[in-house]
Amino acid sequence: MDINPSSLDFTGYTPTWCAGCGNWGIGKGIELALKKQQLSPDRVIMLFDIGCSGNMNDFINAYAMHTLHGRALATAVGVKIANHKLPVLVTGGDGALYGEGGNHFLHACRGNHDLTVIVHDNSVYGLTTGQVSPTASKGKKSRSTPSGIIEQPVNPLLLALTQGATFVAQGFTAQLPQLAELITAGMQHKGLSIINVLQPCVTFNKENTYAYYIKNTYKLPEDHDKSNFSQALEQAQSVFKERFPLGILYETTRPTYQDELPQLASEALAERGRFEKSVSLLDNFK
Amino acid sequence: MAKQQTAFLWKVGAPAGQGVMTTGLLFSKLCAQSGGNVFDYAEYPSLIQGGHNTYEVLCSTSPVNNRAWQVDYLVCLDKVTLETHEHRLRSGSIVLFDPAAGKISPTGDYTIIALPLKELLAELKANSIMANMIALGASWALVGGQRKKLETLIAEQFGKKGAEIVKLNQNCADRGFETIVGNTTTTITFPWHKPEKTPIVLGGNDAFSLAAAAADCRFYASYPMTPSSSVLATLAAWQKMTDMVVRHAEDEVGVVSEALGASFAGVRAAVGTSGGGFALMTESLSYAGIGEIPLVVFLSQRPGPATGLPTWTEQGDLLFACYAGHGEFPKIVLAPGDVTEMVVLTKQAFDLADIYQTPVLVLSDKFLSESRMVLDSEVVERELSTPPEYGKTIRQVDELPYLRYKNTDDGISPRLIPGTPGTHYQANSYEHLEDSHTTEDPEERSMQVEKRLRKQATYLSNHWQMPSIEGSLERAEYIFVTWGSSKLVVSQARDMMDQPTAHIHFTHVYPMDREKVAALFAPNRHYVLVENNATGQFGTLLRSEAGVDIKHSIRKYDGRAFYSEEILAALESA
Repeated sequence: MDINPSSLDFTGYTPTWCAGCGNWGIGKGIELALKKQQLSPDRVIMLFDIGCSGNMNDFINAYAMHTLHGRALATAVGVKIANHKLPVLVTGGDGALYGEGGNHFLHACRGNHDLTVIVHDNSVYGLTTGQVSPTASKGKKSRSTPSGIIEQPVNPLLLALTQGATFVAQGFTAQLPQLAELITAGMQHKGLSIINVLQPCVTFNKENTYAYYIKNTYKLPEDHDKSNFSQALEQAQSVFKERFPLGILYETTRPTYQDELPQLASEALAERGRFEKSVSLLDNFK
Repeated sequence: MAKQQTAFLWKVGAPAGQGVMTTGLLFSKLCAQSGGNVFDYAEYPSLIQGGHNTYEVLCSTSPVNNRAWQVDYLVCLDKVTLETHEHRLRSGSIVLFDPAAGKISPTGDYTIIALPLKELLAELKANSIMANMIALGASWALVGGQRKKLETLIAEQFGKKGAEIVKLNQNCADRGFETIVGNTTTTITFPWHKPEKTPIVLGGNDAFSLAAAAADCRFYASYPMTPSSSVLATLAAWQKMTDMVVRHAEDEVGVVSEALGASFAGVRAAVGTSGGGFALMTESLSYAGIGEIPLVVFLSQRPGPATGLPTWTEQGDLLFACYAGHGEFPKIVLAPGDVTEMVVLTKQAFDLADIYQTPVLVLSDKFLSESRMVLDSEVVERELSTPPEYGKTIRQVDELPYLRYKNTDDGISPRLIPGTPGTHYQANSYEHLEDSHTTEDPEERSMQVEKRLRKQATYLSNHWQMPSIEGSLERAEYIFVTWGSSKLVVSQARDMMDQPTAHIHFTHVYPMDREKVAALFAPNRHYVLVENNATGQFGTLLRSEAGVDIKHSIRKYDGRAFYSEEILAALESA
């Protein structure tokens, strides 16, 4: 039968997100970035974590895995190794990527797997009705922390930088053109790209609102050198003072995990022929 | 006058770090390459220096598939070895012992041959660890082995370390040989001969590794955990040849997630672990269940709970394996009983995972994983050469819309490899429609639950295998029932018994065909369940899955595998 890839469209079901939710902007940003790169839903693999953000699985069309909570990034590592010819995009919340899947995050940075990770950072667990997430400000009261959270927040940018991510950026859902550009740049980058996206949860977070982020975000200075690690670290630290830089903080070149595997030098693992010399392995046991 | 012997058990012991593993392995190779059938096994505590390591080799003119209780040759590189294993010596056993290692007070009717290790080391100007080579040479002389063979094997083994090291090892071994060789009253003649074909000696972990490579497994992920770790090392060492990607991931949750990602993206994937690591993987097992993602899990059991006895053996995770994962989904659990079955069932596990698009577990335990035996190379080669079956894995769509979770009669929906042009779908961890979108609709939900469970019925009629039966069920005084590695000891015990016996051995342990299994069990027959655990888990499984209640069971849960003598003693005292 005649199958025409160009007839495929990224637009899936109508999102069920709350009116005004920051996920709308991120969803749109991803779709714009995919279209800009002239990709089609059959030429990209997306991994969705669990949460309001992960519900995007039905709103964007693509080959996809809607994984378990916290496991989208670890699962993506396997996907990319099996087929490194396809772009692989991971999307999930701050709870998934920095909390439940925190260990996977550290090690994905170290490994420089060629993946693009979009973190929906709204400082709450929206889908479970507003408990604090790892990026919540110290003292924030929620259903799980009625007296205020004792821990200080995770600093995603510093975390990614110090653990070896080779592309670290921050966007804001209300600045769609920039966000789409960041996602495009992240996907074009060879290696692990972390894009932390600030997004209000209009239902459960009355502090980190659109007005809050408009007031507290800033564009990286004109002379910011994204190849300079020290400058990136410096900008990332402004988060401690509730100042959130927007743009590409850091980008560097390092061989990706896939580059370092001679097994992937030519064809994708999923595409090549079967190993047929297993009998010769018996020589190891004579 | 040397006496003719058809089987003997040789055992060496020393603190960890004294080269016991090398001595044992080399002795085993000497025997196998000189025409003996060997079964070997090492025991060691969970530490790197000190403690007490042992390696034993049973060598016979006929095929052997288990250990033996009586030690014929005990090589003591320290005093502890004699003290620990003296109770397994018989009248006529021979002990190699260095009088300089301390004063001993022998209690049995066995022969002690003085092997002055300290003195010889000084004479040879060798490091104390080389005592193991002197002991190797002495052992080989005791069993009447060919002197030249020592030299060749040591050259092969240490070749990479340079000529000087080879020479020193050869000198030590030869000096050990010489010390014994004149003593004809204690040596034996074993019918050593050059075998027609170089024998292959495999352990359970080796067998899993080989079969995984042969089964087109292209991604193996693991986090080191005894007794599964050697699979990770073996497959990693072969990567350049096999082009398999072998990943030591950050933790077992990462391990299984990566494997599911790789499997979804179109390659056969497996993970390996022991009970504790498997506990961390169970959430993802459930994702494999609903997402219908093929996965092979190699679970080599060790005694728990928690860290338990890390380097010892137990069949303690059977029920955990069968019932692992939240929610209801089909799962296949296979339990090889010996190394040959490990090759066959591992090959099958990868096929079944693809055919039924669900997790398949291959159960091993420390005893099966690490004991090695001579295998029939023709059987192994044939098995390795059989091409895999990929089931309903497809690389093109004939009809749109493509329905990933299409409701079918056999419960199996065609699984498209992602990246195929013209369509897309998701492996959804939520309940989903046939087209893979999320749903909470009650009818769609029920349909998908039933579709998935139907795969189990399809498996039972198409691929499930009845237990193997040896002996006559009608005439047997005792009918032994085993699963997994306790098969070995029962075969051996039956050979030693005068009464008529039979043996029902299960490999396809879960799920099982209720009617067919129940039909094997007749009233008024004496069934004896032999399990290396404390609670009789297979007995529980048989009750729940087949409605069969076996009253008599023999269990062992001290971390050690059974000896056939223990089976006989248990029957006598029953």
